[in-house]
Amino acid sequence: MSKTIGLGNRLRYPITIVELLKGPGETIKKQEVLMRYSFKWMKEVGDTIRGNTWQEEQTTIADWASPTDGELRKWHIKNGELIMKDGPCFVVKEACSHEIQFQGLCAMCGKDMTEVNWAAEARDTDRAPISMVHDQTNLTVSQFQATRAENDLQRRLLQQRKLSLVVDLDQTIIHACIDPTVAEWQRDPSNPNHGSVKAVQRFQLDDGPRGVTQGCWYFIKMRPGLEQFLAHVSELFELHVYTMGTRAYAQAVARIVDPEQKLFGNRVISRDENGNMYAKSLQRLFPVSTNMVLIIDDRADVWPRNKPNLIKVSPYDFFRGIGDINSSFLPKRQDALAPDAAAVTNGDSNPRPRAGRTVEASKASAAETLASAGDEADPELTQRQLEEQERTLEKQIKDRPLQLLQEKLDKEDEEAERASTQSEDNQEAPRSSPPLVRHQVLVDDDRELEFLEQHLTLLHKTYYEEYDRQRASERGNGDVELVTPDVGQLLDSLKSRALRGLRILLTGLVPTNVDIFQSEIGQRVLAFGADLRTDVSRDLTHVVVNSQRPWTKKLKRAARYPNIKIVNQGWLAACFSQWDVVDETPYLFHVHPDIPAAERLLASGGGADTETDASEADDTDGNAEVRPRGRILRLKRPKLKLVSASGETRTLDDGEESDDEDEAEAADADDLLPDEFEDGQLSPIDTLKTFNWGSADEELDEFLAGASDDDDDDDGDEQDEDDANETRKDEDFKDEDASETTDSEENRRAKRRTTPTRKRKRKLDESGASGKLRRAKSARGTSSLRNQYDISDSSLPTPADEDDASSQPKLPASRAQGAAEDGGDDGLYYIDEAELEADFMAEFEADGSVPQGEGLGVGKAADGGDTDKG
Amino acid sequence: MFFLHNLERRVTLHPSYFGRNMHELVTTKLVKDVEGTCVGDYYIIAIMDTFDVSEGRILPGSGLAEFTVGYRAVVWRPFKGEVVDGITYSVNQHGFFAQVGPLRLFVSAHLMPDEMQWDANATPPQFTNNADMVIEPGTHIRAKVIGLRTEVGQMWAIGSINGDFLGCLQA
Repeated sequence: MSKTIGLGNRLRYPITIVELLKGPGETIKKQEVLMRYSFKWMKEVGDTIRGNTWQEEQTTIADWASPTDGELRKWHIKNGELIMKDGPCFVVKEACSHEIQFQGLCAMCGKDMTEVNWAAEARDTDRAPISMVHDQTNLTVSQFQATRAENDLQRRLLQQRKLSLVVDLDQTIIHACIDPTVAEWQRDPSNPNHGSVKAVQRFQLDDGPRGVTQGCWYFIKMRPGLEQFLAHVSELFELHVYTMGTRAYAQAVARIVDPEQKLFGNRVISRDENGNMYAKSLQRLFPVSTNMVLIIDDRADVWPRNKPNLIKVSPYDFFRGIGDINSSFLPKRQDALAPDAAAVTNGDSNPRPRAGRTVEASKASAAETLASAGDEADPELTQRQLEEQERTLEKQIKDRPLQLLQEKLDKEDEEAERASTQSEDNQEAPRSSPPLVRHQVLVDDDRELEFLEQHLTLLHKTYYEEYDRQRASERGNGDVELVTPDVGQLLDSLKSRALRGLRILLTGLVPTNVDIFQSEIGQRVLAFGADLRTDVSRDLTHVVVNSQRPWTKKLKRAARYPNIKIVNQGWLAACFSQWDVVDETPYLFHVHPDIPAAERLLASGGGADTETDASEADDTDGNAEVRPRGRILRLKRPKLKLVSASGETRTLDDGEESDDEDEAEAADADDLLPDEFEDGQLSPIDTLKTFNWGSADEELDEFLAGASDDDDDDDGDEQDEDDANETRKDEDFKDEDASETTDSEENRRAKRRTTPTRKRKRKLDESGASGKLRRAKSARGTSSLRNQYDISDSSLPTPADEDDASSQPKLPASRAQGAAEDGGDDGLYYIDEAELEADFMAEFEADGSVPQGEGLGVGKAADGGDTDKG
Repeated sequence: MFFLHNLERRVTLHPSYFGRNMHELVTTKLVKDVEGTCVGDYYIIAIMDTFDVSEGRILPGSGLAEFTVGYRAVVWRPFKGEVVDGITYSVNQHGFFAQVGPLRLFVSAHLMPDEMQWDANATPPQFTNNADMVIEPGTHIRAKVIGLRTEVGQMWAIGSINGDFLGCLQA
């Protein structure tokens, strides 16, 4: 094979060819002089010390040496020619093209490729840059060789009517763990999990991690139906294993899955050969064309370059809570449809020890960030991550998460049984022996592979139909070139038929700061042919809600249209897995548009006092809206109202609502729902889930005792807790005064006027007013809230408020016009007070005997309502 | 090619070993340190004997004793053109890898007889001439070394089975 060699750009052009030393047909060697050329340059001559120098033109004759071995075929230059720039010099038939190299040696001629000399511009090692062999990284080939090898492969596959299928191991076709509990369960036939773990196979690794985990057993559970799946699929596909585990691990697993090496043969690639700790790439195995390659993997994010060829399967999570034992190097899984989310949806109450994994994952992602900044092959980082993985594995061996889970489950069972026996018969039921049917942690009910096999078969069929069609049309042309359809395109077109015609809205599934069209889940919805909507409209077909955080504004609005099916994310996962619109019934999210507002509030995590919610839900609304951005403005908002016009409108609204409270209509109730939380933000009540209401009650009792003692001299006894509270508010007002110097006078006046209200309020019975105070207190009880309160003190006019203009138009408006309208405000506050008093009295009369605990649920959501006026 | 080679090495001994059988310990340590390593362009296969164990010198600062030991060892230095026997451990479409004692050798498909063809459909995939020669992992082969490269502590070789009496060894 002849090759044209250029002159190179290191010469001092223009040059003149002086002499050609070798003729065509002669054998040339590397570094042998082939021709001479001359060039002109300027030299500084004269006396440099005295500065008496001048330039003189020099002509130099130089040698030009051959950069390669071979036989000279033809010169492109001739004697005496003036050459202005780099160009072709001669044609050579190289002795060896060094196209396959092994560890710096040419595998064809045995020469050392790492030698660098002055004659050649490029290093010889660059001639074979591609590593495409599964189990070796030190064997590299040239582009030409890679293409040839791949064409051979494609021809062979076409002949056999097969395709290539790259199979991931962990959580795709198997699930692995090293928790020794599995072995115990295997030995113990009485254990409820015995049936499930019977089929679990195990192996030990010699080169496994050191330390505690050295010589530990790896337990491998094959995905249900795997044998059959692989047997069928291997008739249509040539299978490759591509895993992020170590080589030894990959081979051990391959031996379990495929003991006779019939399915995978030696086509196993692991993290050791991958050359990248964070991503997989088809180009590592198929450097030229991925037209005939499909991937099945449970993670899409590790295939950044090969998304079109990827069939994402739902992760196989047999050993609950273990996750992927080889994922320490990978970024944290960001999968909105992860099985644990889905499982919770299905009423599975098994708590999973996620903490460890999250820590691991977050560290891994941190490490990844580091890595992306620096070199990927940073040995220090790799070392750290190896240690990280070892720690994770050690933790698994020590903590035995599976055992913990089962123990927990047993306890739950026991409690449930005790409860049931007690409720069923109050007679002295003999204290039953441990529950007869213990629930098991490990349930093997996965059907993913069935669907996967269907998809793969369909794809294979479609591919070869397409191929035959192309062949038929090409035969006329006599075109012998190998043209193959792209299976990635076919996959896309097949997938895009799956959900075609559906108009889907996702809510609560994607963080707000992520563009839904860029998010993984959004892209998958689009890839499956559905129309992804961002807003509620009549023609929506499905609304997919996050069952863990369902109460969003979009859902609320969508619930008005009976034609829209509201489903949880499990439905979407099932659709993705089956490539079809599956029956929504098991996944329906039940929402009745006309359930009482109180129930809704209850459902959204807090308790609601039906008496007060009409007037307070509005504030709940406002808080819910503001909270995510401003973190919390609950205590600050009321002050705003005091000094602004907002209080007026608000109060009027409240009054109206309490008027027609009885006819709580559907639309009205809708308004009472908390507004949509920004996707990905915490619900404002989330922090309160962990709040200790018991201690709040105690505190309240204490406080009430103190308050009644103090009732007579409420003109500012600072030792009273309540007064302290008020003082704090007064200080807040001063803060505000400072921030709004223009209308500080008015503020003070307003404050003075409101003071009597506060006193009156305190004289009211606990049921209403003090209930609210209690709420204020309980809100302060949570440390996070208090912090936020402090923050809000100093920065009253936060931009978050301006942003909220749509939902809370009163606030910014009143801010802007503050000074102008203050006079009016003052007048309105009197109305405000009258209204409030009426409210309190009504509450007092109607509800005097309400147990103290009841108002608490609303407290955190609605305490804005009282401080507002107090 | 194997050689008997006279070599010299400095061995250090921890003070806790100081005693009557110090020289034995020195020899043991030498064997442990040296045998099976790749030094420059040859492998030290086995130490035959030691001679001329010098007096120990205490190294200032550490208390370790340093001995200079002369020893005779069997070394193997692969040469270009040498014919070696090995065991195949990995086969792919570009060629196969074989382990020749401590040396890793690659034989490219270009350096095989023309009738040897890559058969990807076989289990496991193999090179075969559809007659007496089948090269798959585990096959014993005889190859001629045509290229060698050394790095610190490591050597690699390129082999050829294109020639008389080269290729598969009949068991």
